[in-house]
Amino acid sequence: MDHRSKLFSIKDIYNLDPTDDLFVTAMRENCRFQYDNCADYKKILDGEGFDPDSLKTMDDLADLPFIPTLIFKKRRLFAMSQKRMLWKPTSSGTSGSYSKIGLEFSALTNALKMVLRVTPKRGVLSLRPCNYIVFGYKPNRHNKTAVAKTAFGTTLLAPALSRTYALLYRNGKYEPDLEGVIKAILKYSKRKAPLRFMGFPSYTFFVLKMMEERGLKVQLPKGSKIMMGGGWKQFYTEEVDKSVFYDLVNRVLGVKDSDIVEFFGAVEHPILYCDCPNHHFHVPVYSRILIRDIHTLKPVSNGTPGLINLMSPMVKATPILSVMTDDLGILHDGKECGCGQSSPYLEILGRVGLKDIKTCAAGAAELLNSGGKT
Amino acid sequence: MILANGILYDTKEQNKVLDGLKDKLTATLTGAPLERETVVSAFDSLGKDLAAGKLNDLIDSIDLDGKDYYLDMMGNMMSRKFLEDKIALELYSDLKGSDRIKTKQIPLGVIFHIAAGNMDVLPIVSIAEGLLAGNINILKLPQADSGLTIKALKILIDREPRLKDHIYVFDTPSSDIATMQKLADLSDGISVWGGDEAVKAVRQMSRPGTRLIEWGHKLGFAYISGFEDKENELKSLAEHIMLTKQLLCSSCQVIYIDTDKYEDVIAFAEEFISYLENAALKYPVTELGGVAELTLRRYAERIDRHISSEDPSTDNDKIIRGQSTSITVKKDSKLELSYMYGNVIVKPLPSDNIASVLRDSKEYLQTAGLICESDKRESLSELIYRCGLERVTRAGHMSEFFKGEAHDGEYPLARYSRFVNIEY
Repeated sequence: MDHRSKLFSIKDIYNLDPTDDLFVTAMRENCRFQYDNCADYKKILDGEGFDPDSLKTMDDLADLPFIPTLIFKKRRLFAMSQKRMLWKPTSSGTSGSYSKIGLEFSALTNALKMVLRVTPKRGVLSLRPCNYIVFGYKPNRHNKTAVAKTAFGTTLLAPALSRTYALLYRNGKYEPDLEGVIKAILKYSKRKAPLRFMGFPSYTFFVLKMMEERGLKVQLPKGSKIMMGGGWKQFYTEEVDKSVFYDLVNRVLGVKDSDIVEFFGAVEHPILYCDCPNHHFHVPVYSRILIRDIHTLKPVSNGTPGLINLMSPMVKATPILSVMTDDLGILHDGKECGCGQSSPYLEILGRVGLKDIKTCAAGAAELLNSGGKT
Repeated sequence: MILANGILYDTKEQNKVLDGLKDKLTATLTGAPLERETVVSAFDSLGKDLAAGKLNDLIDSIDLDGKDYYLDMMGNMMSRKFLEDKIALELYSDLKGSDRIKTKQIPLGVIFHIAAGNMDVLPIVSIAEGLLAGNINILKLPQADSGLTIKALKILIDREPRLKDHIYVFDTPSSDIATMQKLADLSDGISVWGGDEAVKAVRQMSRPGTRLIEWGHKLGFAYISGFEDKENELKSLAEHIMLTKQLLCSSCQVIYIDTDKYEDVIAFAEEFISYLENAALKYPVTELGGVAELTLRRYAERIDRHISSEDPSTDNDKIIRGQSTSITVKKDSKLELSYMYGNVIVKPLPSDNIASVLRDSKEYLQTAGLICESDKRESLSELIYRCGLERVTRAGHMSEFFKGEAHDGEYPLARYSRFVNIEY
């Protein structure tokens, strides 16, 4: 078994220290592979004067050149022929351009192992059949964005009896169908099978608000879960406080805080971050996060805000072993959380740049507006 | 949050507020006119309370860059003296008509203000100008509003309830086109602050015949041709750059040096960086996002250059870095936007070339800060404004509000008014 597979086979996924050596070794192997197989990656490392073999300790990771996600939107970087890539998700293309990231077969098997380890932590993986409300795009051959795929993918975590989508593809474009969603909630809340919500928090919030205004309150069946991912950063940093949202879920759906589960991931860093019972995204053994100074890009200590550098040796097809997103964040010491997990957790503060910047959540809000008015 | 007729509403009540708006506006328009004295005394008393520290609770709750400076400025601008002088300068007091036909300057009517978020107090200034000219004002808050606007206007109305039907504030996002359109349709004039895209969008949205009052994006620069008091002039230029964070239309983006020698430009930059650093200590950048974006963009450009195998030495720009500021020295003379937040550009521009360079950017010209020997000031100022600039100031005063100030070459109160002729 190679070092990467060993890393993805670890059982105790939030205990990072014992896995440091393994992580660095897997990163070095990945770095060497990218250097030898991706000419553009070699140019970057040569340009920055970095030798893959110099990656020996955790401290060395700070010197590994990281690639801004902006670059993947502009250029196609691959270390394998595209025939070997099974899955080419695209990011949601906030600024109108899209990242193309390839995942090879072994990356996908590692991803599967990861999902099977991460999801049971919050009782999300279940054999009990469920009905699903998907607050996202109904899959369509025209929509290749990762959000659509992951929103659909999570409906596989427990067998699906039905799936109701909030965004339907009609006449060549996506339109929100919130009335349909409310009908489905009322209908499935009376069934025995648990009901699961998945997708953009902004839609979930909007629907629950609509229900509350109409005096509609239900008690969802036992085992029901509210799962959210995609677009939540914009939502929480700018629109609604988490506790307000949780209270609303509790009031309208009768679902407890502990049954609200959030996910976070990015196309350029396809690691599944699942929140702990205190709703924090702890770093699993598959990845490491460095927060870098906004002036100098040097790593800063935990608790200091900066640019987010995400690292993982998971993928070989594309050189995404160390990427920098366009978000600002803070890494907190694990013990500050109080859930018992020792690994640090990431808090996203929002996008870099001046404030009026769109994300896919804002795009979704726009659809809502036009859909709600016509 | 929405403010209408002196009452605060939750954002979700927007449609309810909009439904009765047309009738309310009509009633106000045809009701008792808003007296200038009402507006002036309301702002004057608010300004006095501000100075006396009575609004400290409000001020402390808001995260405002360069707070003391802006509070001081607002205090001055709200004084009776300042407002009365402004009215006297910008509006006609008595117009001579014929015996038979009178001419009056009256308010435009309803003004829809689409304010920008680059300066926290700007939406209030825009509303104040609309009120001084006697109008009903509908404000669309900028997305980046700090919360100051609605609170301050509520206090103003509580103090002078006669203003309540002349102030409406909506927090509608620009993406809510239907609402934006509705508000535009209700208005006689639209005052838009913003970049080319915002201005274009408003032009599309407005009906023919609606007066457009465009305060578009402009680029400011400083021009240096010798000194009168070098130490102080450079200090005040640096402080201007750090105070405004280069976010205003009047902020300095490029510093031109009157020379054709690149070495002179580099020598200036190497000297100026310490001034900039000192100014950054006095007015530090607190907007992390903007700085982070700049850092990320520069790093991405570097990584991209590796991929396109450009020889880094072919890069013409020399960057001189301080702790939190930087100066980019370029060889060309084009007027351009800097990376902002204390990252200024320095370029050579021999005085013989000023006209041809400035004419290339004529739509974006507004403020030039001029540092020069005293005997050159008059001729250089004249050359610069004849090229299309709207104001030429001393370098530290580029963004100052002052008595008699025109905005983008016009007097706002005049733009917010119209003339009527009435035959008796």
